[in-house]
Amino acid sequence: MRTEDNLRARRLVFYEKDVTRIERVLEELLKLSAARLALLVDREGHLVTRLGAPVEFDVDSVSALVAGSFAATKEMAHCLGEEEFSIMFHQGKKDSIQLTLVGDRALLGIIFDDKTTIGMVRLYAQEAARRLGDIFARSDKEHPDEESMTENFTADAKGKLNDVFGA
Amino acid sequence: MVQINFARREVNCKIVYYGPGLSGKTTNLEMVHQKVPADRCGKLTSIATEGDRTLFFDFMPISIGKVAGMDTKFQLYTVPGQTFYESTRRLVLQGADGVVFVADSQKDKMEENTESFENLKRNLRENGLNIEEIPLVLQYNKRDLPDIMDVDALNKALNTHGWKHFEAVAVAGEGIMQTLKAVSEMVLENLNSRHEKTRRTPKTTRIYAQKVAQEAAGRAVAGEPAEAPAEAEMELVAASSRAANVVARETAHAPVRRPTERIQGGQAGRRDIAGTAGVRTYGPHRPRTRPITRPRIIARNDTPVTAPAKKSSAFWITAAVIGGAAALVGLALLLFA
Repeated sequence: MRTEDNLRARRLVFYEKDVTRIERVLEELLKLSAARLALLVDREGHLVTRLGAPVEFDVDSVSALVAGSFAATKEMAHCLGEEEFSIMFHQGKKDSIQLTLVGDRALLGIIFDDKTTIGMVRLYAQEAARRLGDIFARSDKEHPDEESMTENFTADAKGKLNDVFGA
Repeated sequence: MVQINFARREVNCKIVYYGPGLSGKTTNLEMVHQKVPADRCGKLTSIATEGDRTLFFDFMPISIGKVAGMDTKFQLYTVPGQTFYESTRRLVLQGADGVVFVADSQKDKMEENTESFENLKRNLRENGLNIEEIPLVLQYNKRDLPDIMDVDALNKALNTHGWKHFEAVAVAGEGIMQTLKAVSEMVLENLNSRHEKTRRTPKTTRIYAQKVAQEAAGRAVAGEPAEAPAEAEMELVAASSRAANVVARETAHAPVRRPTERIQGGQAGRRDIAGTAGVRTYGPHRPRTRPITRPRIIARNDTPVTAPAKKSSAFWITAAVIGGAAALVGLALLLFA
């Protein structure tokens, strides 16, 4: 069974220890590449974590668009006989963004301006993606017992639905 | 697929609104966006054509607040309903935790409803999901129009597994919140049955007790009334679920207007708010692009609903390029505008 199929059989979980390791990788990436911001988004469009300059845009919307655009290009890749495109790059007038696939699980988005070059970003992003892939592979084997959903989570959450959607 | 992020203390679930073209999927999200309190609802992002037809997807995040210390969010998506966008629908359905199937109640739309439903089953299978296992709710929309099928006939045609169903008039906001609440409850129940750890350790018990106490203390400081005990809450939720399972109509409330942002697909560059190409941002009184009048006259420019001929790779490439380009434009405008 592929890793992705295996993940479909269970929830996608990010433990605090893993996110700390992920953030260390992103911190080093930003330092070496001189990029402004790094986002890690899962394939379904949920933000995992971000590091770098404060942002003004809506991160949830951007995460959804990143995942959507990557999914669309994956279809294009299939039509062209490729399994998928692992890197996407969009150049703006002031800022640019590179999206890199991380294993089967996530997308690394790096926003940078003219303080650095695409070459530098791509070089360090590839290394960061490899290290992030190792973190995910290790995380698949570890299941910290101290972090889990409480048994009453669903009942409590259903109670909150009345507040938002009405009784 | 539900994402649980213990570092950010977040639980994220994905709900997809599916159905034939012009059945009311986008309208559902628009009306939910108006009705949900502003502090619980993010921006409604729509990647649409000039004619307001969904090109790639609509997206809107809703937070129900902190539950046991976890910020619990539902990400609502719609798919493009036109038959042309088959590959895009499959992409948007990836990782869905719950589905709302929005059917058009009009008699002459029945064939499109059934074809779209079969399409949903197929796309779920291709995404490794099973329609019999995924939380699913049916919404029979446009109940205010003349010449509509009765609910029994719709159930006979579509509701093969006894799913919950709701009548709705989405443009008036009727039935939309019950629909969303029902599918959200089912998603949460599915989360419970599949993913919650049943083993409680002394540490998790202690952590949970501390969180409940903190939330109660916070409410007391804010002067809010204490919540009912968990058992009573569960009974209230169960009762409201039973009531919602009966076909219901929601009394239309005056909508709470909030700015939304529609990103026009297929356009390059920006234009200013005066009205040239680019991001269109609406103020508190959002002008509706579709008038709310009865009966609605819908100018259809869909291709005829026939069994689609086998499409060439160039077709799929074109469809993927259009959808991808629209998403990229939206992404660029959000990031760099």
